[in-house]
Amino acid sequence: MLTTIKKVLPHFILFIYVGIILIPFVFIIFSSLKESNIEIAESPFGFPVDFVYENYVETWVKAKINVYFFNSLYLSFSSAVVGVILAAATAFALTRMRFAVASKWIYQFVLIGMLIPGNVLFIAQYLLVNKLGILNTHWSLFLPYTAGALPISVLLIAAFMKAIPGELEEAAIVDGLSSVGLFSKIILPITMPALVTVFIINFLGVWNEYLLANFFISKDALRTLPTGMVGFRDAFQTNYALICAGIIYSVVPVFILYTFLQDKIIDGITAGGVKG
Amino acid sequence: MKSTLRNPTVYMMFILPTIMLYTLFFIYPMMSSVYYGFTDWNGLDNTNFVGFDNFVKAFSDANFINSIKNNIYFILFSVFIQVPLIIFFAILIGGVKRFQGVYKTTVFMPSLISTSIIGILWGFIYEPEVGLLNNFLSLFGIERIYWLADPKWALLAVLITNAWQWMGFFIILILAAILAIPKEINEAAEIDGTNGIQQAVHITIPLIKPIISVVIMLSIAGAMKVIDIVLVMTKGGPIGSTEVMASYMVSKAIRYSEYGYGTSLSIIIFAFALVLTAIYQLVFVRNQERIEY
Amino acid sequence: MKKSLMLIIMLILVATTVLAGCSSNNASNNNTAANTPKEEPAKEEPAKVEEPVKVEPFTVSLRHIQIGDAQKFRKAILDDVVKNTEAEIPGLKFELDGVEDQVNRFTKLPAEMAAANPPKIFDLFGGAGDAFKYAKAGRLLDLTPIIQELGMDGKFLNLGQFTLDGKVYGLPIGGSTEGFFYNQEMFTKLGINAPTSFEELEAAAETLKKNNITPIAMGSKGAWVPNMLMNTLVGRYAGPDVVNGFATGTAKWSSPEVVAAFAKYEEWEKNGYFTKGELGLEYGDMLNQLLTGKAGMMFDGSWRSSVFKDVEQAKDLTGKVGYFSMPAVPDGKGDQTYVNGNYGNGYGFSADLSENELTAVKAFIKNLYSDEMQLRGLLEDGVLPSMKLSDDALAKVEDPIVKVVMDIMKNSGGAFSHFDSTIQSDVYKVTEEQIQLLIAGRISAQEAGDALQKVQAAANAK
Repeated sequence: MLTTIKKVLPHFILFIYVGIILIPFVFIIFSSLKESNIEIAESPFGFPVDFVYENYVETWVKAKINVYFFNSLYLSFSSAVVGVILAAATAFALTRMRFAVASKWIYQFVLIGMLIPGNVLFIAQYLLVNKLGILNTHWSLFLPYTAGALPISVLLIAAFMKAIPGELEEAAIVDGLSSVGLFSKIILPITMPALVTVFIINFLGVWNEYLLANFFISKDALRTLPTGMVGFRDAFQTNYALICAGIIYSVVPVFILYTFLQDKIIDGITAGGVKG
Repeated sequence: MKSTLRNPTVYMMFILPTIMLYTLFFIYPMMSSVYYGFTDWNGLDNTNFVGFDNFVKAFSDANFINSIKNNIYFILFSVFIQVPLIIFFAILIGGVKRFQGVYKTTVFMPSLISTSIIGILWGFIYEPEVGLLNNFLSLFGIERIYWLADPKWALLAVLITNAWQWMGFFIILILAAILAIPKEINEAAEIDGTNGIQQAVHITIPLIKPIISVVIMLSIAGAMKVIDIVLVMTKGGPIGSTEVMASYMVSKAIRYSEYGYGTSLSIIIFAFALVLTAIYQLVFVRNQERIEY
Repeated sequence: MKKSLMLIIMLILVATTVLAGCSSNNASNNNTAANTPKEEPAKEEPAKVEEPVKVEPFTVSLRHIQIGDAQKFRKAILDDVVKNTEAEIPGLKFELDGVEDQVNRFTKLPAEMAAANPPKIFDLFGGAGDAFKYAKAGRLLDLTPIIQELGMDGKFLNLGQFTLDGKVYGLPIGGSTEGFFYNQEMFTKLGINAPTSFEELEAAAETLKKNNITPIAMGSKGAWVPNMLMNTLVGRYAGPDVVNGFATGTAKWSSPEVVAAFAKYEEWEKNGYFTKGELGLEYGDMLNQLLTGKAGMMFDGSWRSSVFKDVEQAKDLTGKVGYFSMPAVPDGKGDQTYVNGNYGNGYGFSADLSENELTAVKAFIKNLYSDEMQLRGLLEDGVLPSMKLSDDALAKVEDPIVKVVMDIMKNSGGAFSHFDSTIQSDVYKVTEEQIQLLIAGRISAQEAGDALQKVQAAANAK
């Protein structure tokens, strides 16, 4: 009896939590298929009476989600990849190479950046990208996004690299590897779990970013998903069904991407933890 | 042998790109902010140097003080409500065998969605008349609450949404650390006859302390720079009840063209962040190092 | 000099690392997306050897606020103007950027102005907080010579909100007044007549309330919305001159007659005449409340009228919405037939234009500010013209609401502006704070007046 409770209780609690996460999505899915605000208002939990798929067609046409989605996707991806590579190289130099004093200072210097709340810089960054002549191009987002992700990336990757036993690299060096080789052939593979984590953090950071995207981009064709969706809401704020369909469009592809990547992330972290 | 790792060219090659990008888009804007923070620049006309006027003004600006208070609420909520829940759920998920994959997948889902979309989504949930939450609460006879319109409730509503978005992310981080604990340790504990709670408190938590400290630091940093969710959900309203430092700074600088004052606020925010890091370094990092070595 | 050189060197270094470090596919993607539009024409040109007329393609950015269903008529007119202008000027392509009104006015445009990088053509509001501020900073194109050149001198009804030191910096697209829209069907069912006096207005509100209908729809998340009603109440209680008098010091916010307006607002608030939870509702929500029958009246600008003749938006309420202006208030100062009247929203143009762009801007002005488009705006969209139209043209109006609005305008003693265009922007900002505090019940009418007067006095002293 007691053991049954012990076994079931965690599941019971977790089911409530999972419910809290999923119910809003169910609501959005249902609402996106409903005919009007009135139907949503009358039975928010109710199954749609007729499935109004036209909402999806209308949203697709009106909201240009495909454009926004692609922009967000490739900005997030390229910025995350570049960020991870730069941060990994830096973290390697800081933690594994023998420049203790310089490394300590540089590490602190980079760490300060983590506590500069990125958003407070945006006025100055706005003036900067304007001065560089890249305002209203994707460079104006790519560069600050990549730069903004560096401090935390360096911090996390350095933490992982610090834990790698020194014998490993000594053996590698005895085998005649150069420091670049050591980095790319030994350290990077071992750190892969951390790199994946950092990639995901950076990817999501860019994927979510609203403030800079809102100010630095004024061409509809270059807008990212967060600003595009807010613009769509502002335009159609009284048509709940359309906005819900818009949310579905913007969320589903990420979920697909996630289901594809999630084993990598979690297994990676776990495996890395055990190895490290 | 050591010379391989003492090659300054390689060292520079590995460090310079990061430092340059970081300097250009972080340090340089910070420096220019410092300059503008001491001026009365309105974004258009000539600037006058005004010394510390902006800073004096900030600390007598009731709206700014109010926004500091709200940031403190964000920090307190993250550290004292979210973090314990995060650890609790991570341990629960780490402890079950069935459905573990399902839990892992679902808890992370909210963190995948962009903040602006979460703001829109939760706007429906908090909608007073047809929204999910009031519908649910009415089952218990609770009267309609104007979540985002009532100054008494709006901040809590934003805090809950923020927690909903980010908890899963941190749960996954901690879960990874829990799953990395060698099985032998837990098995040994079970043989010793410790129960689940004892095991969590005496074995699991001490072992995952480093990652918990990272989570706390990330939570505090997140609470300091929170802005997107506020802009999308309430724009700081109603009557400033959800205004945070960053959103107030943006609204001052852009909406009211007080760039000089706005940037001086950003310097103050930075100073706060710096103080918090110092405290963090003193309190947590020392502890962690003692455990590690 | 040294600083910018360093910037450039840094950027080049950074860019090279980025390109080298990134897998070719992402970097080049990014690269092409950012640069193609600029580079392509330049590359192609040498290839096309010796064409008779060298047409150089160029783009002109155009920021508008006509997004969403409620603005679709306005957007259609703009689209036609864009099409006509592109057909006229060889090589011209407009780059339209639609942004929500408040986002444009209060976030994007100010930021762009600060960076001296506004779109070439953009939606602009007149008055102290917008057009005058940008004009003083030299960001706006002086339109006076263009108006002369196009022979549009004297065609506009009122350029006051765009004229600074005798120069015109923007052109209003239309005029507007503000008043009550009401659900005629609901009023008939409940036996309410369209109010002609203030007592009748309050009685109507009471009747609606008794029937569990919100008397006046309101969305106060953006404080400018309740400020419209407050503005008109101030004009009624304290007289039309007061609106201009605050900035000149002849009128005081804390005076009994202005406080009377705040007190009336406070009273209506306490009586529950406005939508519950209004502080969380957007401007658009307010229209929705009227359309769904949750509210009986709505205080809004005459620009909203086109919604009520569009079946797609108004549904069952199509053609069943009436309009009346704020009735005379008891003991009100000054002429009580005055209405709030504004020619405050239109287009402004960047001061930084190339020769091509200037040609495009001129053609755009010629096409947009024409009798034809003004009449279309009036007939299709219910926007009052900002330019003088012939009586014949005006007689074509059939829309009942627009007719009522035009009658009210004709019979009024005159018009007073929004205070957002007459008072300093620091003061206007405080009116926004105060009205929301008043709505939340945090302050009294007198406190609001006192707080405002304090800021007003400080601003006047500058």
